Amino acid sequence: MNFLESIKGDRIIWIVVVILSLFSLLVVYSSSIGLAYRYKDGHTEYFLFKHTLLTLSGLFVIYYIHNIKITTKELSIIGLVGFPISIILLVFTLVMGVKSGEASRWLEVPGLGITFQSSDVAKITLIIFIARSLAIHKDKLKEFKDVVYKIIFPTALICFLILISNFSTAFLLALTIFYMLFISNVSFKILFKLIGILMLLAVIFISTICFFPNILPRGKTWKSRIENYIKGDNKSNYQVEQAKIAISNGVFIGKGPGNSAQRAFLPQASSDFIYAIIIEEYGTLIGIFILMSFLVIFFRTIRIVQKSKSLFYSYVVAGLSFNMILQAIVNMAVAVNLLPVTGQPLPFISMGGTSLIFSSINIGIILNISRQVYEQERTLTNEDATQNKNIKDIHQAETKLQA
Amino acid sequence: MNNAINIKTNLTFIVFLLISLAIIYKIYVIQFKEGDYWRKRSKEITTKLVEIEASRGNIYDQNYNLLATSLPFYDIGIDVNVPGLDDKTFNQKKDSLAMMLNKLFPEKSKKEYLAMLNKARQENDRYILIKRKASYQELQLVKKLPILRNGKKGGLVVLQNDKRILPFKYLAKRTIGMAREGIKPVGLEGAYDSILKGVSGKRLMQKIAGDVWRPINDDEEIQSKNGKDIVTTLDINIQDVAEHALLKALIKNQATYGSVILMETKTGKIKAIANLVKKDSTTYEESLNYAIGYPSEPGSTFKLASVLALFEEYNVDINEKINVGNGECVYYNQTMKDAHPPHSPVITLEEAFMTSSNVGISKIVTKYFAKNPDRFVYHLSRFHLDKPYNIDIPGEGIPRIKKPKDKDWYGTTLPWMSIGYETLLTPLHILMLYNLVANNGSIVKPMFVEKIEYNGKTLKQFQTEVLSEKVLQPTTIEKAKQLLRSVVEKGTAKSLNITTFKVGGKTGTAQIAKKGKYYTNANDKTYLASFVGFFPLENPLYTCIVTIHSPSKGIYYGGLVAGPVFKEIAEKVYSKSLENVSPLNEKPNNIIHLPFVAGTNTNRLKYLSTNLNLPLPTINENQLIPPISEDSAKYNLLQKDITQIIQNNTIPDLKGVSITEAMPLLEAKGIKVIVKGQGKIKDQSIPPNSKIQKGQKLILTLSSNI
Repeated sequence: MNFLESIKGDRIIWIVVVILSLFSLLVVYSSSIGLAYRYKDGHTEYFLFKHTLLTLSGLFVIYYIHNIKITTKELSIIGLVGFPISIILLVFTLVMGVKSGEASRWLEVPGLGITFQSSDVAKITLIIFIARSLAIHKDKLKEFKDVVYKIIFPTALICFLILISNFSTAFLLALTIFYMLFISNVSFKILFKLIGILMLLAVIFISTICFFPNILPRGKTWKSRIENYIKGDNKSNYQVEQAKIAISNGVFIGKGPGNSAQRAFLPQASSDFIYAIIIEEYGTLIGIFILMSFLVIFFRTIRIVQKSKSLFYSYVVAGLSFNMILQAIVNMAVAVNLLPVTGQPLPFISMGGTSLIFSSINIGIILNISRQVYEQERTLTNEDATQNKNIKDIHQAETKLQA
Repeated sequence: MNNAINIKTNLTFIVFLLISLAIIYKIYVIQFKEGDYWRKRSKEITTKLVEIEASRGNIYDQNYNLLATSLPFYDIGIDVNVPGLDDKTFNQKKDSLAMMLNKLFPEKSKKEYLAMLNKARQENDRYILIKRKASYQELQLVKKLPILRNGKKGGLVVLQNDKRILPFKYLAKRTIGMAREGIKPVGLEGAYDSILKGVSGKRLMQKIAGDVWRPINDDEEIQSKNGKDIVTTLDINIQDVAEHALLKALIKNQATYGSVILMETKTGKIKAIANLVKKDSTTYEESLNYAIGYPSEPGSTFKLASVLALFEEYNVDINEKINVGNGECVYYNQTMKDAHPPHSPVITLEEAFMTSSNVGISKIVTKYFAKNPDRFVYHLSRFHLDKPYNIDIPGEGIPRIKKPKDKDWYGTTLPWMSIGYETLLTPLHILMLYNLVANNGSIVKPMFVEKIEYNGKTLKQFQTEVLSEKVLQPTTIEKAKQLLRSVVEKGTAKSLNITTFKVGGKTGTAQIAKKGKYYTNANDKTYLASFVGFFPLENPLYTCIVTIHSPSKGIYYGGLVAGPVFKEIAEKVYSKSLENVSPLNEKPNNIIHLPFVAGTNTNRLKYLSTNLNLPLPTINENQLIPPISEDSAKYNLLQKDITQIIQNNTIPDLKGVSITEAMPLLEAKGIKVIVKGQGKIKDQSIPPNSKIQKGQKLILTLSSNI
């Protein structure tokens, strides 16, 4: 009882996350009894054990973070300090990172042999950083140049560093920041202006890639992916074809755990294309259930955003949840060929160590804020004062830092 | 708190909801609208787990000469319709691919290759065979060709087949043997099949055409484990001598088949085993293991067992007189004759033995054992003549020694048995009988395998198995040796009297029963000529038997037909055994030559030796060293545990290591190994002790004289 009482924050988010985590164990289990791994002697238990451990650590990370006593001030400092750190990490990764594919995405923690994508760190810190800026300057962001200076410039810097090696992550992060601008009180006029400029940049970017694919390390890959998607050329778009075959075999109840035949043909069966495999093995209904689970999470986070008395918290939760759900939606949309092939894992379900941990940190922060919001709601103590105090705190913190 | 933020976030939720509905709609389209198409496609994809045989272990002789090894051969094909090979790449590069194919495999012109590629691409043909039985080197070149170099997207389809190679061709072929599914196991390959063949892996393959399957993933789903190597007791040099001497005699006498076994007396190690059977007048081949598998009536060589029984049971003196009359005697209704009439009607046992008098031996045996033949058979059993040795190699012949209570024990059985008839024994059994005397009354089990190794590490070392000790009394051994010596000195094997060392042995000339009858007409008589003995007499090193079946050139006596083979083998082996002062089991691939050293003194040489880890040649202190030749000193490399070093992500010193050992270890660590030349590793492009980096290239230069 004590333990259950110590679980705070949004209960429904908790339940959905636990369900997704348990389901991920099932998926990994079926992949380990599946053809490709069944005969890899000894490795079956190894994969399952490793993933169970990871899932448990993920849940522990959520639990730990959601219970941290943290004030808005402290969280905003994390964003402020984290921002330059993530720039350093990203640059460092580009220069030194372990080669993965054609571009450096991974960074090794010295001594531990653990690698992580520095973009995962950058995502969270940038969202917190921008939420802070939006909250502090909520009355000053009237002019286009202010928005560019305070919001677009830091975003562009981080996104560009991520873009060099990972287009889709950079794009989703940019979209997230745009969403945060959209729900803030920045005027639509400025937003439309921004959209116009971004569209122009996108056209320039795409044409550059098409004509000079060697300008960036992954230029060629992007080019062929875009071409394949536009042409719908099935012969050359192998992964999509295999994913479709997988999905076509999973009508309603699916082929059963471990019976995926397509796993062998999908190079990213346990990560980028896991949704296709889930449908193949567990059926359409479970597929829709997973999809809906993410929508439920998003729906619950919207409630936190709406209830929070702190603008800063609202923006943080909005940004983090939007980014995560967007990633999930993109993953599933790719698997059903609604979007071109890109390497976004399905949060909490895809196999892959550190992305799970970062998803957990993400949800942990959301739950922490939800806990604070609900506690606040319950005590109902002097709402305006709290908010004013919060913002004063942030100002103080900033002046301290500047000094 | 803020109405605008509520509206905006709710709006976003609706957008997500709409996208989700789009995803569900897409699932619906794929499952229902296009469902039949995709499901049909999935049925076309036929996959199966194909068993991948592990690379079979090697069989070495005692000096690590390769007796049997597996060479991989590759059937190289191209799938020009592999998903991922788009029209643009194909059209751009097909010309250069065709050109390069023509350069590599000129049996087809560039045009023909191009036509093949185009046709297959058009007709959606998933497999074109480019080359059958390509070598490893050729495969490496093919992997670099345009299109094909793109790995999985390049459509290269390689099917590996291992071919078993016997580098010494027919030498000991039947003893090396074979193991194939559906046939009875033969020889060492058959006996040690489970050790040699390793553990096969499994690989998921997709059917692309007819009977052609291509692997789906880059790695095997279950990694196969290479077979272990066996080091035999055979010595290929002695084997060579034995086989050639036997062949010469077989051709000379136009015999149907013959066999030789040479065994190390004390250890039971088989050093050579040859079996040759006639194909035509000049060709003989190894096809059946007569030496161990085919029991027959041994004839006079069995007389040793008879006299041993006499010595053991009654301590008969070798000078005991036997009345042989004119060399004929009658047992019941059967007449026994000597091949040559005796020089006098009364001869000693020694004379009877050395002239191989049937009458003499049978008379003295019946004199002592007629009343209790059980004792005679009891001694034969003690000499291990009535049971198989359960040797490693399958198909050992089961001997037959009659017992008095058997239904086919007749009154004539004992006398005929005493001279080597009415019993069935393999040459191996006769050899072991003589080895009993040579080995001072100890019976050792014949052994063919010295050790089992994996990656140069000994997994199991076999020791000589002593089956029984002190089977013979010292006086028996002494007397037997004297009899066997007399045979060579003044008896039926005088031609074998070698001056340099003493041989003891016995000839045998057995008439071969045809359809159960010995005497048909004179022209139809066939014989088994044999000679079995050991050398040197005083302290025997080797025991050897030579049997030659059905000599057809008029000469059929064991001493004249089989004797010369024995003599040739004994002389060569004996002179070799004097040469080989260094231990026989030294491993040649661990030996490297000491550099040429001259004009220095021992102190300096000592300094160099310790620092360079070389052994010091045995030279007196502080002496000026005369030039010593490169071959005069050998040293063992420190036991290199390359496995361990590679596991620690370090490149070891690979000099002198065999490529088959190093390659899988290095490739498992993601190193791209490029091999130049043949033989053992001589040079490596990355210096030892460097850290292994995934994907780095390592060029290994091989050389056969290292």
